[in-house]
Amino acid sequence: MRPPFKPALIVLALASALARAADDDDALDLKTADPAPAAATQAATGPRLTLELAALQARGQAGQGSDSGHRAAVDLRWAGKLTEQWRFGLSNRLDDMHPVLPGQRSTRHHLREAYLGWQSGGGQRSVDAGRINQRHGPAYSYNPTDFFRRGATRSVVTADPIALRENRTGTFMLRGSQLWDGGGASLAWAPQLTRSGRENSTFSLDLDGTNGTDRLVLTVNAKASDRWSGEALWMVEEGRSPRLGLNLTGLVSDAAVVHAEWSMARSARLVDTALGGVAPRTRHHQATMGLTYSLPSGLSVTAEAAYNGAGLNRADWQQLFAQGQAPVGALFSAAQADQELAARRAWMLYATQKGVLLKQLDVTAFVRQNAVDHSHIAWAELRYHWPRFDLALQWQRGSGKAGTEYGALPYRQVVQLVGSAYF
Amino acid sequence: MPDLSARPGPGRLQPTRRRAGQALLALGAAAAWPAALQAAPDAQALLAQSDAIRNPSQPFKVTVPLSEFEKGVQVNTTTLLSLARTLEAGGQFASLVRFVQPVRDAGKVMLKNGSDLWFYDPGTKSAVRISPQQRLMGQAANGDVVTVNFARDYQATVAAEETVRDGEKQTRKSYKLMLTASGNDATYGSIELWVDASSSAPIKARFFAESGRLLKTAFYRKFQSQLGADRPTETVIIDGLDPQAVTLVRLSDYGARNVPTSWFQRDYLPRFSAE
Repeated sequence: MRPPFKPALIVLALASALARAADDDDALDLKTADPAPAAATQAATGPRLTLELAALQARGQAGQGSDSGHRAAVDLRWAGKLTEQWRFGLSNRLDDMHPVLPGQRSTRHHLREAYLGWQSGGGQRSVDAGRINQRHGPAYSYNPTDFFRRGATRSVVTADPIALRENRTGTFMLRGSQLWDGGGASLAWAPQLTRSGRENSTFSLDLDGTNGTDRLVLTVNAKASDRWSGEALWMVEEGRSPRLGLNLTGLVSDAAVVHAEWSMARSARLVDTALGGVAPRTRHHQATMGLTYSLPSGLSVTAEAAYNGAGLNRADWQQLFAQGQAPVGALFSAAQADQELAARRAWMLYATQKGVLLKQLDVTAFVRQNAVDHSHIAWAELRYHWPRFDLALQWQRGSGKAGTEYGALPYRQVVQLVGSAYF
Repeated sequence: MPDLSARPGPGRLQPTRRRAGQALLALGAAAAWPAALQAAPDAQALLAQSDAIRNPSQPFKVTVPLSEFEKGVQVNTTTLLSLARTLEAGGQFASLVRFVQPVRDAGKVMLKNGSDLWFYDPGTKSAVRISPQQRLMGQAANGDVVTVNFARDYQATVAAEETVRDGEKQTRKSYKLMLTASGNDATYGSIELWVDASSSAPIKARFFAESGRLLKTAFYRKFQSQLGADRPTETVIIDGLDPQAVTLVRLSDYGARNVPTSWFQRDYLPRFSAE
């Protein structure tokens, strides 16, 4: 049988090839207006300064009014080499927020990092001393193996758990590390530097949060294969039980990565601590498991389930809210500063898409649910990039009945416009 | 063939007609080159020679500015510093890539060591394992900015002997190699690669997903003497779905830089400065 329309198919194929060749010609004619690469490289060395301005509109819970506010921040990061073997790091941030909660300062300085480091010629051995932001754990929403997270987040300017990490304060420590092919180990000693309570001055070092006790943390990393690697951690802390932790990540396909964290220690339940009564220590497990799937379009979606054995179950939430606002506020405040999971169980869906409609427009969104009281928070951001300036529109909404974690947020909905200039 | 460029006429139409004429010439030439080379070449050897021209054999550093275009307009610029070396296990390259520009991304680091892909952000102090499909920088895939030896991950056969137009719009005699993925580390399902018939220098490549969908077309051009060989210092990457999305990848400031193999792991990322 003679194939129908053969001449037409040939013409179509030829036309398609011609169009493709013409497209190739267009592409090959493109010229860049960028400076010479060497000049560009030189321009990027030195300190990095970010100025941030934000305005927000917040709608209170049912029956309450609306609020507006604004904030400004100056953020400096500088890491470099003094000699071939000596290096330094400096990172600080000055926040000015209006309004603030009663008892809080509107202007706060945060010294995130200030350290001096030495490394051997090949880089395999290193010693660092000073305030260091040592972070562990691959999970997005809750990091049970991030042993230095307690008391380290005092500047909360977003609900996005990833962006919030940028404001995390380091811990004063002395740290030694050794690397080998496929793994490494480090030992960090973080001394107690204060015995006073909560510091609340503008230029406070927040030592009560980061260096309130003596701690020794040992970490060992190993790579099982190109696709799987893990980390074991052990912490000894003055006045607390030793804590053990494990985390791992794995590549399960060209598009999917899984991660998991687990830690265990004898500790007090959060509800007992918040209520201020007797807080017996029992063995509690904390864990997070997640999967990130990426599509060729640039969309990445992460689903994560988290568990905190010391967190609040349904009866605990009811008991807490029955005691009034003070213990509720104390629990939320501590959970935020410690980046602790208040609920016994929670889950999160987190998605990012680069280049939505426009090349420079990114979208990030997440939903986080308290799986015990079924309240949830949704957050979304549209972010447009210019070469040295970002403009972001953020929307946040908490949903839940009265007496639930997200139903008790002071604002039901917050809309924020943030401009960031990079120097 | 009339000389279109010598004829007076509507100026705006003229370049299009000229391009169409050039394209016709190229298509004709591609079909017209007879079997001039008699002995069947060793496809895998050609591929290895082509790899040796794209990538220095010694550990090296290179600056990589990426310019992204949309409908002919430059919309994004990224500058990277890359350190690459072959590792003893398997002989594939491992790369450490540090972002230099834009300023908001300066200091971020990507590590590729086989399927071991990590992204480190000094702002969040997080090292995150990423999948080959996950995008970090707009249109450019992670594989476009790291050093890869195709011969290690793909099996090659000679599909044709063709005359092909190169990135400078010159016609070149070439071997068209068909590359099929032979290991788990291969980024693409298959690749069509045209290499120069006499020097084995890479000329052009078309990259396909496992489904057979065209992902991108790349032209290797602007060959210059770098670290002991004439190497391409510019790659033009045209998106397979949207030909108006083009990424220009330049390679400059090549230099020998021997770094320890222990640097190519997650724990070293916070300390990597590329200086």
